[in-house]
Amino acid sequence: MTDHTAGGVDDGSREAAIIAARGKKDPAGRGEGFAALGFLTPSLIGFCLFVLAPAIGVIALSFYNWNLLSDGMFIGLGNFVRLLSDRRLAEVYVSTTYMAVAILLVNVIIGLLLAVLLETKMPRWIRGFFRLSFLFPFVVSSSAVALIWRFLLNKDLGLVNYWLGLIGIERIDWLGSSTFAPISVIIVASWKTLGFSILIYIAGLQSIPNEIREAAIVDGANGWQRFWRITLPLLSPTVFFLLVINTISSFQIFAEPRVLTSGGPGDSSRTIVQYIYDQAFGSFDLGYASTVGITLLLVLIVLTAIQFRVSRRWTFYE
Amino acid sequence: MTQIAPHRTSHVLQRVITFVILGIAALAIVAPFVWIFRGAISPSDAELYRLPPTLFPSSITLDNFRKVTTQVPYFRFILNSITVAGTITIVQLVTCSTAGYAFARLRFPGKNALFSLVIGSLMIPIQVTIVPLFLVMSKLGLTNTLWALILPGVFSAFGIFLLRQHFLSLPRELEEAAKLDGAGQARTFFQVMLPLSGPAMATLGILTFTYWWNDLLLPLVMINDTQTQTLPVGLVLLAGRFSTGSLGTIAAGITMAIIPVLIVFLLAQRYIVQSIASSGLKL
Repeated sequence: MTDHTAGGVDDGSREAAIIAARGKKDPAGRGEGFAALGFLTPSLIGFCLFVLAPAIGVIALSFYNWNLLSDGMFIGLGNFVRLLSDRRLAEVYVSTTYMAVAILLVNVIIGLLLAVLLETKMPRWIRGFFRLSFLFPFVVSSSAVALIWRFLLNKDLGLVNYWLGLIGIERIDWLGSSTFAPISVIIVASWKTLGFSILIYIAGLQSIPNEIREAAIVDGANGWQRFWRITLPLLSPTVFFLLVINTISSFQIFAEPRVLTSGGPGDSSRTIVQYIYDQAFGSFDLGYASTVGITLLLVLIVLTAIQFRVSRRWTFYE
Repeated sequence: MTQIAPHRTSHVLQRVITFVILGIAALAIVAPFVWIFRGAISPSDAELYRLPPTLFPSSITLDNFRKVTTQVPYFRFILNSITVAGTITIVQLVTCSTAGYAFARLRFPGKNALFSLVIGSLMIPIQVTIVPLFLVMSKLGLTNTLWALILPGVFSAFGIFLLRQHFLSLPRELEEAAKLDGAGQARTFFQVMLPLSGPAMATLGILTFTYWWNDLLLPLVMINDTQTQTLPVGLVLLAGRFSTGSLGTIAAGITMAIIPVLIVFLLAQRYIVQSIASSGLKL
């Protein structure tokens, strides 16, 4: 303010401007209301058209038998009854859960191990190199990643089996056996997202104040004790965050199994999103696909709610 | 001294183990990319499958890259991907920053209810609503156009939340000073708040661009016409058009998809690292 007067602006007009500004700021906040309307309108239109309407649509469609060629026929709870007797759906949920939990654990446990190792003393450029290499797959598209691994995991010509052969392990049918197909999806999906989890962990580790660690050293705690008693409790909000987002994203996996194994053999590596896609755009059964979509939504909501509830008990906030 | 020596050897051992573990992990991440790049410049597929693998091909050729562009409209795919991811990013920066600001700073009726609705929609992923979304686009006659890929990205609950948290962290005095200077809401936002939001906007921009650049599901559902396809589906099309026999061409396709990402990644690495780290801290 002093800058302006020093710049030679007429004091009288300045005073008037302040009064005008105060006048505009009406106590009821009606001006802010209009501004808010303007600021929110683009998002609200997008929300209504592409989130709210489709969300209502999913619920509505689930009561219909609807294929792409003709408009639907109302069948009440028919689709929901069908859910209960759908053997494949149960299998797909089992394989999705198996793969999602494994990917989640790899991210949360191995991610933590690598992040802690990365935070030990080392030259800056080496740390930078490791961090960038770990992160790079995260920015590459899932379909490119899955295509690369489709070659590497090839039973007869793939490099993975070649290296395993060198240490005496027999050829594994990575993509063609119902035991190893889901494991392949787990490896590839974790390979892609691990760098992201490591980075989140590093941010969490760096936010732990050094004084606490130093105090523990002074008190004679060794590295192992420091990790379990200090680092891990202080890191619990980060662990919680990673659990939540990795659960949600692992249950939505689509590209990796589709490109790697097409969900097979059988349904051994099929995910629920693939199943929705197949029902809707393979069998053109839009009503039933929507019903399956609702089950996924419920699973996500329940899982997130459980995690939030449980976290209250063990997450340590400063 | 005798006491320090064993301590020091265990310390050295610890560091060796640390580097071995990190080294193996880094190799497992980097080696597949190196192998694909090498395959792309190899004259024959036999070289890719030669065991044990060699680091350098016997001679270097760019033939595979030419084959990619003649087999599929590859540059079209890249252009489409840039159009889709770029447009969504720019639009989201506008819609999410204005909405985030309104939720952070402005008083208006129904604010809390509206915000709960936005946060609630974080739980409804596009994978759940894909079927009605397809019907909406098909009724609007937008399937097989890039609009079908752009419009669903206009609204982002995550983006609004991220930027709301950012605006909440800015000191209130700034706006009060701006108001005192006679600036309206719009001017306060555009001339005072937005210039302070570079890093937060970069965070959102990078995360949004990567997400939509890599998305496979939406183009697979919405687009049937090869000319309108994006890169992730384009790669799958390319791989599907060849049997396992012409690996070199597929490797070249993958390389061409990765190189631009690699360049941007190396140039913007510091921003990317920061943005991911901060998105974790802010949620």
